Amino acid sequence: MTRPRLLASLLFISLCLAITPVAMAHHVGVYTPRDNEISANFKQIKFSLQAGKTDVARRLFDEGALRREMVTRAATLPPGLEAAVEAALRRGDRADSERGLVVFFAALSRDLALEADRQLGDAASPAPARVAAGRRFLEAIWRYYSLIDFAVTQADAKAAVAIRLAYDEADGAARTPDPERLRAPLRRIAQALDGVVATSPLAGRASRRTSRGPAVRGERHTRRQS
Amino acid sequence: MTPADDSTWRLPPIAVLLAAVLLVACAEIGGASMARFKLELARWARGAMLARPAVHGLVGVRDVDEPILDEALVKFDAGLRLFHMHAEGMGAVIVTTTLVATTLVRGAGARRLIVALITVGGAGYPLGYLLWSALIPRLGVESAKNTAEWLVWAPFGGAALVGLWMLTGAVAMRLVRR
Repeated sequence: MTRPRLLASLLFISLCLAITPVAMAHHVGVYTPRDNEISANFKQIKFSLQAGKTDVARRLFDEGALRREMVTRAATLPPGLEAAVEAALRRGDRADSERGLVVFFAALSRDLALEADRQLGDAASPAPARVAAGRRFLEAIWRYYSLIDFAVTQADAKAAVAIRLAYDEADGAARTPDPERLRAPLRRIAQALDGVVATSPLAGRASRRTSRGPAVRGERHTRRQS
Repeated sequence: MTPADDSTWRLPPIAVLLAAVLLVACAEIGGASMARFKLELARWARGAMLARPAVHGLVGVRDVDEPILDEALVKFDAGLRLFHMHAEGMGAVIVTTTLVATTLVRGAGARRLIVALITVGGAGYPLGYLLWSALIPRLGVESAKNTAEWLVWAPFGGAALVGLWMLTGAVAMRLVRR
């Protein structure tokens, strides 16, 4: 092989090698998780309340996905929560309306934490799949809890700190291959959130109101003990 | 006075032009199909994903599964869009760069190599997005990306890049020697 040809071949090979990492970097877009219809409806109601438009908030609650979800999950929510939120919105009571919504999202997050714990304990599925599922559950819990974190912190700072600490621990455990390490912090999250649900003054009032009268929309609500 | 061969653009081989035009035509058909069959495509992808819960890490809880499905569907759609855009763009890149190579690169061997690298690499690279998109419902976002990366993006994208840099070098040398 002549010298210029050898040089050209070397140059060609160097170029191929230099370009390999560049060729591996493709633009495939970035995904930003979107609100689901429940969290979007919550934000609409919250912003309407903050703007003092209680009639708009009431309409958004009446027609929105949040109320439908409240009815669907009535069995795991404090009895009469939906009716209590509706009554608060009708009165134009912003504080009580927000408290009711906080209870709802705390209950949603709690149920997710309980379900995550249950699935993580299912030895039938392989450990990596359980850890991956645990990570997904944590993301889902945070999506809901982050909506009410500020309100929970104001109402019960100790519970909010406990939830955050447990969440951080769970987040760290989700990076290890052992699914069992995720379970304890998830149980603590569920316990703290259950406390938020149970100690909410609105939840108590909702229970009392329901005990005096018929259940909302003819449904009988039973509080799930967790 | 400018030499005669520098003042006239020379056409690349017809096969190269056909590849470029075909690529642009595929891009347009892809774009039109995306709009026309948007719902059908999304339904098919969602159905294929729901049929493989383990592949996508679905856990059977709506609040957890919906974002997973949403991300996969967004990326499925992004793959089709990126195919449309890259195929359009690479078609034009193939025509212009092979035109430059055919006109300005003097060595026949180097010219053929540059034209071949740019044509094959440029025409193959956008197909990787189509492959990625098609594999997402069956393999999951990351596995589909890895497959497309090793089968199409790296070899074809690499070939196109090597061809383009060789052309850059050849044109720069031409300028220096002038």
